Amino acid sequence: MPRPPRPRLPRAFPPTDVTIRVVVAAASVLAFAAAAAGASAQSYPGPTAAPRTTDARALGAQAREREIHERFMRGVTAEEHGDWNAAAAEFRRIVALDPPEPRGSTARYDLALAEIHLGHDAAAAALLEDALHRDPRFAAAAANLVALHLRRGDTKAAQAAGDRFVAFAPDSALALYGRGLAALKAGDLDTARADFRKLVGTDPTYAVAHYDLALIELRAGRDDSARAELERALALSPSYARARFALGTVLLRDGRRADARLAFDRCARDAADPALRALAIDLRDRLAQQ
Amino acid sequence: MRNLRRSAIAVVLAVGACASAAVGAELLLNDPAASLVTSAPPALLGPITESGRTGWDCAPEHAATAKTAAAAGLPTD
Repeated sequence: MPRPPRPRLPRAFPPTDVTIRVVVAAASVLAFAAAAAGASAQSYPGPTAAPRTTDARALGAQAREREIHERFMRGVTAEEHGDWNAAAAEFRRIVALDPPEPRGSTARYDLALAEIHLGHDAAAAALLEDALHRDPRFAAAAANLVALHLRRGDTKAAQAAGDRFVAFAPDSALALYGRGLAALKAGDLDTARADFRKLVGTDPTYAVAHYDLALIELRAGRDDSARAELERALALSPSYARARFALGTVLLRDGRRADARLAFDRCARDAADPALRALAIDLRDRLAQQ
Repeated sequence: MRNLRRSAIAVVLAVGACASAAVGAELLLNDPAASLVTSAPPALLGPITESGRTGWDCAPEHAATAKTAAAAGLPTD
């Protein structure tokens, strides 16, 4: 007997449009909540606080700070581009605004740099002195003051500036080199020897310091020590023309004319300075004639 | 006439320059060490920004306190 077909039961909860909309809405809420939770884990910098004062002095101070900041940026950019007039104008204004340390001494240092390039050496020296008065351990200002005096040929001032620099930065290569050079030019051979010896003790590969030591020994009448220093300089830098020329002069003083002639010949080939090359050629040729 | 005078002055000056160069070279042969000059003065350090010296990234201050010639930017001649 065939079984009668099983009647299909109606679904308990047939989906309706309303149900579908509720499910979609719930999913949207969950997705939004998840996104909001993710965003809350990030951090954003707070907005710049708006001025909350109407006090004229406070507003004036804020404007002054802003002007110093802007002029520093413009002045440094001008110096980097070699526009010294523009740089000087910016830093003169900052100096007039007189910001606290370390910006006050930094502005004077930057203005001094511009003044040097504009040929106002005396003004630059005064500015660097002022910067060091405000910050006695401002090493870059001390270094530029020594360099400035050496360029001007004021060895006495260079020595004084070098003494101050070495006093607070005794291991600085620039301090030792600057004071040593000033002492050598002034004839203070003991100070010059001590400074260049210390420099080569820290950095024995610096050929120029050996050359200056050779000059010190030559002026002290110690030709053998001078020749040893020059040989060290030339071992470190074989194409060092000035040291080669100096070696030629030491050999000439020692009566070794053939060796001196070879040294002047090599100097003439290595020298980039036309005056040094001409002198070396002249001495080489004169030695060849004799 | 004026040109002739100018030429004569130029010749005299040139002869004088040659003579002094020759005398200079002769003196150098007697004492060549007198012509020796010291090495170059150190170069000027560059500009410093507004905040340069409050942090650790100030190139001129680093150079001024460096212990080696290369780090200090010392002359090579």
